[in-house]
Amino acid sequence: MKPLKAILLFFILLAVQPVLAEDQSLTSAQLMNYWGYGAIMLMLVLFLVVLLVLLRTFKVLTMAIMGRKAYVDMLAEEKALKMKDKKPKVNVVEKLLSLKPLSEEKSILIEHDYDGIQELDNPTPAWFMVLFYSTIVFAVAYLLIYHVFGIGQLQNAEYATEMNIAAKERTLYLAKAANRVDESNVKLSTDAAVLSAGEAVFKQTCAPCHGDHAQGVVGPNLTDDYWLHGGKIGDIFKTIKYGITAKGMPTWEKQLTPKQIADVSSYIKSLHGSNPANAKEAQGTKEVDDAAGAPEKTAMVIKK
Amino acid sequence: MQPEKFYYDNKIVRNFGIATVIWGIIGMTVGLIVAIQLFHPAANMGNQYTTFGRIRPLHTNAVIFAFVGNAIFMGVYYSLQRLLKTRMFSDILSSIHFWGWQLIIVSAVITLPLGLTTSHEYAELEWPIDIAITLIWVVFGINMFGTIFKRRERHLYVAIWFYIATFVTIAVLHIVNSFELPISAFKSYYVYAGVQDALVQWWYGHNAVAFFLTTPYLGMMYYFLPKMANRPIYSYKLSILHFWALIFIYIWAGPHHLLYTTLPEWAQSLGVAFSVMLIAPSWGGMINGLLTLRGAWDKVRDDVVLKFMVVGLTAYGMATFEGPLLSLKQVNAIGHFTDWIIAHVHVGALGWNGFLTFAILYWLIPRIYKTELYSKKMAAFHFWIGTLGILFYAVPMYWSGFTQGLMLKEFNVEGMLKYPNFLETTMRILPMHVMRSIGGGMYLLGVIVMAYNLCRTALRGKLVANEAAEAMPLEPVYVKQTGDHWHRLLERKPIQLMIVSLLVILVGTFVELMPTLTISSNIPTIASVKPYTPLELQGRDIYIREGCVNCHSQTVRPFRSETERYGEYSKAGEFVYDHPFLWGSKRTGPDLQREGGKYGNAWHYNHLMDPRLMSPGSIMPNYDWLLNQTLDTTTTASKINAMRSLGVPYAIGYDKIANRDLDKQAKAIADNLGKDHIKVKSDKEIVAIIAYLQRLGTDIKANKTVSSNK
Repeated sequence: MKPLKAILLFFILLAVQPVLAEDQSLTSAQLMNYWGYGAIMLMLVLFLVVLLVLLRTFKVLTMAIMGRKAYVDMLAEEKALKMKDKKPKVNVVEKLLSLKPLSEEKSILIEHDYDGIQELDNPTPAWFMVLFYSTIVFAVAYLLIYHVFGIGQLQNAEYATEMNIAAKERTLYLAKAANRVDESNVKLSTDAAVLSAGEAVFKQTCAPCHGDHAQGVVGPNLTDDYWLHGGKIGDIFKTIKYGITAKGMPTWEKQLTPKQIADVSSYIKSLHGSNPANAKEAQGTKEVDDAAGAPEKTAMVIKK
Repeated sequence: MQPEKFYYDNKIVRNFGIATVIWGIIGMTVGLIVAIQLFHPAANMGNQYTTFGRIRPLHTNAVIFAFVGNAIFMGVYYSLQRLLKTRMFSDILSSIHFWGWQLIIVSAVITLPLGLTTSHEYAELEWPIDIAITLIWVVFGINMFGTIFKRRERHLYVAIWFYIATFVTIAVLHIVNSFELPISAFKSYYVYAGVQDALVQWWYGHNAVAFFLTTPYLGMMYYFLPKMANRPIYSYKLSILHFWALIFIYIWAGPHHLLYTTLPEWAQSLGVAFSVMLIAPSWGGMINGLLTLRGAWDKVRDDVVLKFMVVGLTAYGMATFEGPLLSLKQVNAIGHFTDWIIAHVHVGALGWNGFLTFAILYWLIPRIYKTELYSKKMAAFHFWIGTLGILFYAVPMYWSGFTQGLMLKEFNVEGMLKYPNFLETTMRILPMHVMRSIGGGMYLLGVIVMAYNLCRTALRGKLVANEAAEAMPLEPVYVKQTGDHWHRLLERKPIQLMIVSLLVILVGTFVELMPTLTISSNIPTIASVKPYTPLELQGRDIYIREGCVNCHSQTVRPFRSETERYGEYSKAGEFVYDHPFLWGSKRTGPDLQREGGKYGNAWHYNHLMDPRLMSPGSIMPNYDWLLNQTLDTTTTASKINAMRSLGVPYAIGYDKIANRDLDKQAKAIADNLGKDHIKVKSDKEIVAIIAYLQRLGTDIKANKTVSSNK
């Protein structure tokens, strides 16, 4: 069995390893939850320990007050009393399972047999019947709650509630948030942090269609002077945000935050004139870039 | 009266046993391959016949109908003769049954990789094979009831009640779920569409688990376990209660596969309520088995056969507790469509069906060969590697299911999905998929060792093809005994027992199916939903052929996390022209119901050619043959006609001009691809499937713009 155990351990370690490596993404909220659960468990254990200690203390105290001899006599007396009332001992497990002792089995053997197989006339265990009846009660209650009394929410109502809560949270968040950017107020930025954030988004979401260097693959070249849907920062922001679904440009509004769209728009502008290899031919109309000559020196500022 | 001499037919039992082992190894090997494909796309082997979408159904069909199916017949043919003290009714019928069933399996092995599929899970085989299954099932029924009629035992033992219930219910399930309109030798459309089709399929699918994987095995447990342990069955009363409760309640539980879909909610709730009530009747079988071992636990320590039985029964108990748990809405919201479900079914399949089958084989083969098992050590090795295999399979899959289910639902503080890219969640669970295939490999290794062990056992002995036995003939008239349990009456009347079981399973069937199938208000229609164009219809059939539904669902549930990710949640009226429905049951990839218009045609072209071009890291196989294969447009007219007879409003005579519209739409797509420098002829299959993908879910999007313009 030893090698078997070693193999088992090895596989368990193998299974745990990727998760250990990846689980650094715990947010502080999650971490707090874990601490919370831990604290509750610890409290329960402590509670148990304290109770045990108290029990022991009472015993010791009684003994000290009564004197050792009297205490032992009292216990013996109690025990004898109990024994008098007690019926023959029944195994707790067997009682719970409604089991007859094996020795009495002959009395409940049903006479007939099938190819040598006999059956016992045991009752259905009590706990089994309790389980069965309680699931029936649950089932009836479930149907009543959802379909008669209307206490439980049906799925569309549940969805509406979920969306309402989300909308409220979002309003609250946006009221405080600093990244309230949209196509009308987005500003071009050349800030290195912004551009590198934009580059990360670009590599993740745009590169499959527009190429690693924005040279154009399925989607158009983004480095030349020609634009299909406008080359101004606001136009680019708008194209990314709402997409041009008829031509295959997806809508990114749900996947990227306004800040991310702004970052990647600035990054795209920064690639202008980079003349990457294998560039796709020009599409759209030529636009003289107003901002390219004189980009704003400051990072994005939101006015509203 | 003199005892009569007769012979048990052991040869048919042996044949089904051999088939069980061979198909088991084949089915599990295919399972291992599909498991590897889910982290290593190259394992699709670069051709259409071995891609995941086509051989995953091969795996499920092979292990359910070939491995478990043959094991059921092995167990039934062995126990039925002995419980009734007679030989099987007809050796010829036994033989037709055996060879017919193997032929059906071989036809599945050929047609499924060819892409001939109806797309209903566990009912993928096309209509000619469905008819063959029906015929062979009837042969089995005649043989079984013939045997029952010439029995030398007045009363039917509990095992046989389960066999009878299995026979009638599977017949009903199979026939109702095979209502198809054939359009050619190997292509048909289901009569029902959308929500109705989904309900029929999952009423079938769930009860295939109940009446193919559960009831016959309970019957076998009731025969083989007391034999193996040499102990009486714990409780006759419990047998009666849990048998009737089980078959009555099980049939209602199907809709729990369709929670949060567009199935009417009263039907969903019935599914939940009855699933919860299933716990006790299911456990009835487990406790009657485990308590039968009371007083024999010392034997379990030494006897590997009993070890298999104990683990099998425990796995059954776990799976039947988990099932009701998963059918609660709140749990289902996380677990459905994830690997959790895969873990759940494999605990049942590997533990309950697999281990019981192995126990029976180890017990029965030495007996019919009149010898001892070749190697007890090997059997013990099989037990341990098999048990470890189950653990290594199930635990990573549970882990993976929770991980992905929760990741897909997570939002960040900005109120956006934390993992908007589905692929990111897939990448996270790949290590778990690796682990799972290791577990599966261990389990398969055990089976191979068993095959060797059983072979050597058979070579050691000699088959007792006709085993002599004797029993008293039945008295012509039965004198009722005093103090008989009321149920004894039914036990001596097999036809009545069959009819009562049939009535019991028809109650749930009618209450759940009838209103949805017949009352139109259960499926509200939407004016903007139009039938598919001929090209889209052809594309849809390619989607079916390639088994896309095995990994991509087409139903968006009303959750914030899904409407944010995919778009508007599904409406029942959107599916009215979907023969068959393609909602799927697993999201290995993202849902596709709102795929139309999300990406450009060129994106789809490149993505189907090699998914990793557009989505680096994707585990989807390449579908490059779609680029070269020419679309068969000769079938268009018959497809349009078939759809019209099923109620899809194509104009009379449209079948004659349908191909003109098809060409026009195909040209437009090819031209559009040309603009992106993709040169493709408009008659290729890729054009049709792009047309279908771009149509998906757009009817209702159009509706939305119209209403917002008002």
